[in-house]
Amino acid sequence: MLKIEPKYIVEAVSASSLEELFPLVQNAIELEHSTIPPYLTAMFSFKPNTGNEIRAIIHSIVIEEMLHMSIAANILNALGGRPLINDKSFIPEYPTPLPMGIGSSEGLIVGLNPFSINIVQSIFMEIEEPENPIPPTLMLAAEASPEYATIGQFYMTLSDKIQHLAPDNLPGDPAKQVTSNFFSSSELFPILTKEDAVNAINIIVEQGEGTTHSPLDPEKELAHYYKFAEIVAGKKAVVRNDGSYSFSGDPIPFDPNDVYPVYSNTKAKMLIPGTEERRRVDEFNNAYSSLLNGLHRTFNGEPGYLDNTIGVMFDLKLLSEKLNATPFPGQQGYTIGAPYEWFPQP
Amino acid sequence: MSYLHSPYFVFTGDFVSDVSTVNNDPAHYNNATFASSFQTPGSGNLNGWWNPEGGATFGFQNCRMKQLSSKEGTGDPDFQDPIFGAIISSAAGRNSGKMVDLDPQWQMSSQLWGVSVFISTSDGELLVSGNIKATGFRDLQMRQQKGARVNGQPLGGMWTSVLENVVWGDRAADSPFLQQLKAASASNKLSINLSGYGYYYNHAADGRFSLGRIIGTIGPWLENEPEILSPYRRLYGIIQDANQNTFFNFSNFLFEQQQQRLTVDFSGSFPVIDSIGTIGLNSKLYMAVSKVPVTMPAPGSANVILASDEIIMIGQINYDAAWLNNTGGIASFTDLPDDVTHALANNQLLLLTPGSGGNYIVIAREAIDGLVLRADDFVCRIDCGQTVPVNLYAYQWGEPLQNAVITINMDPEGGGAAAGSQSQNPLIPVCDIPNYNTPVEGISFSQTINTDANGYASLDITGNNVNNPRGYIDGQIYTLSYALSGQQPDPAAPGNIVSDGIFIHVRNYFEAPANPSWSDISEIMVQFANLYPIMSKYFLNFADPLALFSKKEILKFAFTRDITDPVYMPVTRDLSEAKKQAILNWLSADQPVVDIGLAGAMAAEPAKIRNVPEAGAPIPEKQAKLKRAVMMKNGALLSYPEIDNLFEY
Repeated sequence: MLKIEPKYIVEAVSASSLEELFPLVQNAIELEHSTIPPYLTAMFSFKPNTGNEIRAIIHSIVIEEMLHMSIAANILNALGGRPLINDKSFIPEYPTPLPMGIGSSEGLIVGLNPFSINIVQSIFMEIEEPENPIPPTLMLAAEASPEYATIGQFYMTLSDKIQHLAPDNLPGDPAKQVTSNFFSSSELFPILTKEDAVNAINIIVEQGEGTTHSPLDPEKELAHYYKFAEIVAGKKAVVRNDGSYSFSGDPIPFDPNDVYPVYSNTKAKMLIPGTEERRRVDEFNNAYSSLLNGLHRTFNGEPGYLDNTIGVMFDLKLLSEKLNATPFPGQQGYTIGAPYEWFPQP
Repeated sequence: MSYLHSPYFVFTGDFVSDVSTVNNDPAHYNNATFASSFQTPGSGNLNGWWNPEGGATFGFQNCRMKQLSSKEGTGDPDFQDPIFGAIISSAAGRNSGKMVDLDPQWQMSSQLWGVSVFISTSDGELLVSGNIKATGFRDLQMRQQKGARVNGQPLGGMWTSVLENVVWGDRAADSPFLQQLKAASASNKLSINLSGYGYYYNHAADGRFSLGRIIGTIGPWLENEPEILSPYRRLYGIIQDANQNTFFNFSNFLFEQQQQRLTVDFSGSFPVIDSIGTIGLNSKLYMAVSKVPVTMPAPGSANVILASDEIIMIGQINYDAAWLNNTGGIASFTDLPDDVTHALANNQLLLLTPGSGGNYIVIAREAIDGLVLRADDFVCRIDCGQTVPVNLYAYQWGEPLQNAVITINMDPEGGGAAAGSQSQNPLIPVCDIPNYNTPVEGISFSQTINTDANGYASLDITGNNVNNPRGYIDGQIYTLSYALSGQQPDPAAPGNIVSDGIFIHVRNYFEAPANPSWSDISEIMVQFANLYPIMSKYFLNFADPLALFSKKEILKFAFTRDITDPVYMPVTRDLSEAKKQAILNWLSADQPVVDIGLAGAMAAEPAKIRNVPEAGAPIPEKQAKLKRAVMMKNGALLSYPEIDNLFEY
């Protein structure tokens, strides 16, 4: 389980006004976003029409990270803050520890890598590891580990602080709350009250980690950590009523030949200006930055703009997959990765 | 739309158009004869042309404001106005705009859909933004006298339209120019004209594959004007080279009598020697008014020579190698003398170059008698039973032509391979290619209409049941010609091969089942999967019902967008509402209703084509011209011009 730099918990604990929580909720938005490019890079590195089972699993996780990012942005708006999404500082410079120093003490460096079992096991499962992972076939009693701070604790501290500091009806403008037909209203809902905020934070934590008693989240869906574990095990998990489980379900096949040899952590500057390849990479970064701009608008008073951004996400996917199929000039044996870098707009 | 009326500004830069090309060949629509090789790059109907994995995206890149014309005259960069240095791009956070053909059998009016324009200061603050009303290109013409072998496409074309949903940014208040523009514009619209050229079919060393150069002009929109047509006088090129190429083929110009001002737009016609807009011409070029009517020639005949006493000289066009890129190629003549002003009111404008003995050679002349008749919404998609109005506008010497009679005629049945497929190899026929403009009763329209006081006339076109004449391609293509009654068509005008016609796709009659099975929509989806490998490779296999159903939410989202939304599916906008509804109904079921397997759908026998050109039948002249034009548009030219000295005599 990853540790968070204690100062963030201290900041949360010592906050005496809602305003003091704004930077922390902004950090939460950045944290939820930070896992999306690595997961997408792995997912898009499959050659067309291969790895469908694995892709579907990663896709379901990425969608929930997008949900969590949206929830965090809704919380910030509900508290009266303003999410900042369209800025260079919003994007991690991969390879990097996660925001708030998460994982740095364990030496976890998250990069943009093509899919491999090793990446899933050593990076993705680390990111998503619950406070007390439940080993297969066993169920441990939930037990807090007070000596270090975790992502879950960070969220719980936030939750406590909101309960403590906020009025019952949160001060933010309800018109800024974002909902979407792509998410169930039990997952993405307007955060208008303290209770809404607490429920929303629980969704983030439980979808990521599961509950302390079961690998399933309250929607009876496997938490992220266990979904990634399925990929490593090569089989779907079968969860019993008591919360115990085993990897004994349908196979999740993987053939390393299905993955493009994508150059890890590709940066635009690695490609020569004026070449078609560089242009494609710039177009990707432009689309990615355009998406962040669109999301910024969405979460800063134009919730209806979310529908426009759906199309940009689609553009990103196509641009990324085309790059992954393109040989990397000067890097024998590799193809180009999508860099996820800020491209000044317009 | 009045893009040459002051105040206007010009920008130049690049456009990207990642069009898909498997659908450039009508034979590729036939599911029964489709082969996987049609999805791989390569010319010829056994391959997918130059960009089979294109995604139809269209957008602006590297576009900067270059020049303006305002009350104070043309642009002075020292003048403090945030419009100087402005960046022109597409709106952020929104799907890219799209560029699509009407049909594989009508590829000569490629349309922009859902393209947004975002004009900002050099530091990114919004000045003004808007969305381009859908428009097809016109005035396709030869631009590159040299160097087209590098990029592959020597032609250029022009999109004319309006910006709708115009939003003025806070910084527009700091711009005296934009305040003038806002005050001059009606109905919160602006005019926009885009000249594209230098397009790359080739993966050239300069990295410009799928890019082209673009010159944009944005001006006011005036009440009672057409929207995707400019109400301007027209200059037609009349000199052809040995390969039947005409340079300075089509140009718009505005003569303002009261202001004694002439503005000629060469953005879409000035010849260049490379793909990025360098001018290599070294002829002296003059604008003049003709004292005598010039009706010659039918293209291809001898040069038209005028003596100096047959013209009134207006002035020389001052250009240099970078003129297009730096100014957009709009030549402005102000403070015209009274004799020119008087003569231009009802005499032809000429583009001249000096000939021998003090005479002048006419490179381009105004339309005969100054007559211009054009359709506004000239690209139509009509469902069976639907009636669509098409607005026509007639002008003489730039003024509305009142009470004129316009005759409308359907072109003869024809087409077949000529209308789409670029290099049918008779030895390896993929399948029969149907004719279009048949059956004639497939559409109804009035054969004569009259213009009103604004030179405007409306033509209602109704789509009837065409009975699936093309078998494997939905509906039918109809092309209409229009003319002023009693007038011979101007031999130098574009005609309806290059743009001055009405081009219609009438969709098949179809009734959407309330509870469709896969077999009700499988033919559509298999065809889609075949034609757009970018979707079937990278998104989902549309030929696989279970894969399709697994993405039903996002598909329902895309299939229910407004047609002007860039996310709208299908991108090509060629499905009738009824077929779209059938797909939506199928996606809305609780479980996928699959009655035939994938193989069954793939092997489905296509409906029989009812009209196919007879083998070996001679191709009529117009069809031959169209075939050549389509080939050129698709970069299937066998040779490219390499002309050092145009107009050197």
